[in-house]
Amino acid sequence: MGKMRLSQEGVVFALALSLFVVFSLTLNNFLTGGNLIALVRSVSILGILGLGMGLVVIGRGIDLAMIATMVVSLSWVLSMAQGGTPLGTALLLGAVLALSIGLVSGILIAYADIPAIFTTLAMGLVAYGAGRAFLFQIDVQNTPAGVAWFDFLGSGMLIGIPMPIVAFGVLAAVLALVLRYTRFGRFVYAAGDNAIAARITGIPLRPLIVAQYVVTSLIAFFAGIVMAAAVSGMSTRVYNSTMIYDVLLVVVLGGISLSGGRGGVRNVLVGTLLVGVLLNGMTILDITYTTQNLIKSLILLLAITVDSFINPRDEQTSQQSQGDI
Amino acid sequence: MTTLVQLRGVSKDFRGVMAIQDIDLDIRAGEIHAILGENGAGKSTLMKVLAGVYQPSSGEMLLDGKPTVLNSPSDALSHGIAMVFQETNLVPAMSVAQNIYLGDEKLFNRLRGLNIQAQRYLLSLNFYVDPTVQVSTLGAGKKQMVEIARAVHHHARLIIFDEPTATLTPEEKFHFFNLARRLKEEGMAIIFISHALEEALQLSDRITVMRDSKLVVTDETKNFDRERIVQAMVGRSLSGELYAGETRKARPMGEKILSVENLSMGNAVRNTSFSVFSGQVTGMFGLVGAGRTETMKIVAGVLKRDYFHGGTVRFEGKPVRYRTPRPAVRDGIVYVTEDRKIEGFFETMTIAANIQLGKLATGTNPFSMVTMNQARELARQWTSRLGVKSIDADARVIELSGGNQQKVVLSKALIQKPKLVILDEPTRGVDVGTIVEIHNFINELADSGMAVVVISSYLPEILSLSDRVLVARQGRIVEEMDISEATESRIMYAAVH
Repeated sequence: MGKMRLSQEGVVFALALSLFVVFSLTLNNFLTGGNLIALVRSVSILGILGLGMGLVVIGRGIDLAMIATMVVSLSWVLSMAQGGTPLGTALLLGAVLALSIGLVSGILIAYADIPAIFTTLAMGLVAYGAGRAFLFQIDVQNTPAGVAWFDFLGSGMLIGIPMPIVAFGVLAAVLALVLRYTRFGRFVYAAGDNAIAARITGIPLRPLIVAQYVVTSLIAFFAGIVMAAAVSGMSTRVYNSTMIYDVLLVVVLGGISLSGGRGGVRNVLVGTLLVGVLLNGMTILDITYTTQNLIKSLILLLAITVDSFINPRDEQTSQQSQGDI
Repeated sequence: MTTLVQLRGVSKDFRGVMAIQDIDLDIRAGEIHAILGENGAGKSTLMKVLAGVYQPSSGEMLLDGKPTVLNSPSDALSHGIAMVFQETNLVPAMSVAQNIYLGDEKLFNRLRGLNIQAQRYLLSLNFYVDPTVQVSTLGAGKKQMVEIARAVHHHARLIIFDEPTATLTPEEKFHFFNLARRLKEEGMAIIFISHALEEALQLSDRITVMRDSKLVVTDETKNFDRERIVQAMVGRSLSGELYAGETRKARPMGEKILSVENLSMGNAVRNTSFSVFSGQVTGMFGLVGAGRTETMKIVAGVLKRDYFHGGTVRFEGKPVRYRTPRPAVRDGIVYVTEDRKIEGFFETMTIAANIQLGKLATGTNPFSMVTMNQARELARQWTSRLGVKSIDADARVIELSGGNQQKVVLSKALIQKPKLVILDEPTRGVDVGTIVEIHNFINELADSGMAVVVISSYLPEILSLSDRVLVARQGRIVEEMDISEATESRIMYAAVH
């Protein structure tokens, strides 16, 4: 098993690299400075969202409300900042909003036992609807001018590395440490692997589930900050795009199993690389949006199918052949 | 009377484990035949072979004198053999009439026509069930009637019941008995599995007793009494040196660590009271449905007792009411499951990570640092103490044998330093050598002053481990005895009813 998972990451990494090489050789515009910056920008935002999604998927959940959380909280922050509220205060309020969305999702999933996929689907709609109704009016919010650190986060460089990538890297490192070296991280894996056993062992299962969705929502908020800084604004178009499926693609393609308990930050990294290069290449090839969506959806379907063959989701099905005496 | 079905030397094994061996059995038309035996004696497997659920590994089955192979339950039904399982096979969301005619609907069905047809049919059987009612609203007795009606509709000549009376009220039981007698008079053969000796003696024409996957005796009911049945159920052919019947003295009772009064949970646990003492192994015996697992799961916070009239549980003298296992674990009550794969270990993780999780679960700070080196160190201590045979602590639990998996689950529980440890079927699916090791280990735990509760369905295990024996029956502890006065037949006597 250990060997196989390692090779799965290896395969995805090799695939991403070869795709990169092929695109560099065949596409004129691929290896240009402008394109690479666009690639890096999209990859880092996708990657940050992938880290959050990866966390809940390891815990055998899913958060389809991530994009809505990101769009609504950041649109509100920018709208407040435009209206004169200091950016710091606005960001703090935005973080509280994102946290509350995660808290409500988590409580519904953990204490009302609603399947995560439906809870977060509905939560996303509620958050977006409420945001449009009460928090901000126009579709595109621009970043306030003259906030130096915000501009730096979007387009600055740290020892030659674009800041969005630095943000992605730092978050990846933090999450890797948390998952690997803290009690919380070990509990997430345990609950994802076998929730019943985790409960009997004395792990606080329900608070743990709530915590996962709160953390994921905050990560979505963080992705929103990076996005707003990088493109100088936040548009509701993002909510209506297929971005949430790209995030799922990153996670599943990278090798974090939907059956829970398997995978880690490394899987998000290789998944992000592959999906990022793929999306960018397809855009340069001038493949239409519709065709791109079709290709992505087919890859997602394939990845989920392969995943459910490698890691069957229902433990009991593997026992049925045994019979009882 | 004509012989309907004959089994000749029928055996069935699951991956080399014999479930039934070399069974010879005749079933006659117009008889009621009771099948008795302990848990795991092979009763259910035998019935499932008869009903076409399993195919025998060897031996043959004669139907009306002709060799027959039943490939599936529907195949068996077309030959006139129907089985009524403990959990009914009815579709709860459909009406009674729809359930009766399930499987032979026409292309277009008129509901009214179906209902009228069903009404006539049910009346012809003297069943007073409304055919338009949804099955999910019926009680257990009525559901059984519908199952029987369905079987008769499919021209069943042999109906097999798996513990038909277990879920029935006394009144429904009475109806069931009358029904069975009427079906018998119509020339139908009826087989039923039961744990209730009185019912078998009262209802059946012949009784078959099974033990250790073999058929012990088949005889006319009038030649049996309680005594003879219990003897046939427990009289063991192979006790082996594993369970040598050496007489040993019970350990002295320590502090009364757990006392349970009038504990209730739905139908599974009914107003039960008992105590557990430190420094002793308390054995808990009972047949299927006796509520042993449920009772101890309530104590450990895995299940919740009834909110009103749920009774009281005192741990170390203090009343406790756990809603999750976590506070129980932190107070010192640990439950080790009978089903390792589903409730026990984490299959994607290594031995070390599994054991370490037990320790982590007792702590509170979510951000305290843990490393795999700590886990390996813990694993090394515990695996050497329990003798887990494996290459290293980094091996995955799923790759281990059943015995070694059990040792890992035990380590994970004992690292939590419990004062009361509940072991549910600790040697189920464990090889013989490991059973001895686990038994020795359980004795060590009791010697060190811990309170140990062992739930087991295997009488020799109860007798060789316990200092005190509790016997459960129908959700209640009905008998308590010191090991010095416990015998197999005395325990079995209390467990059946």
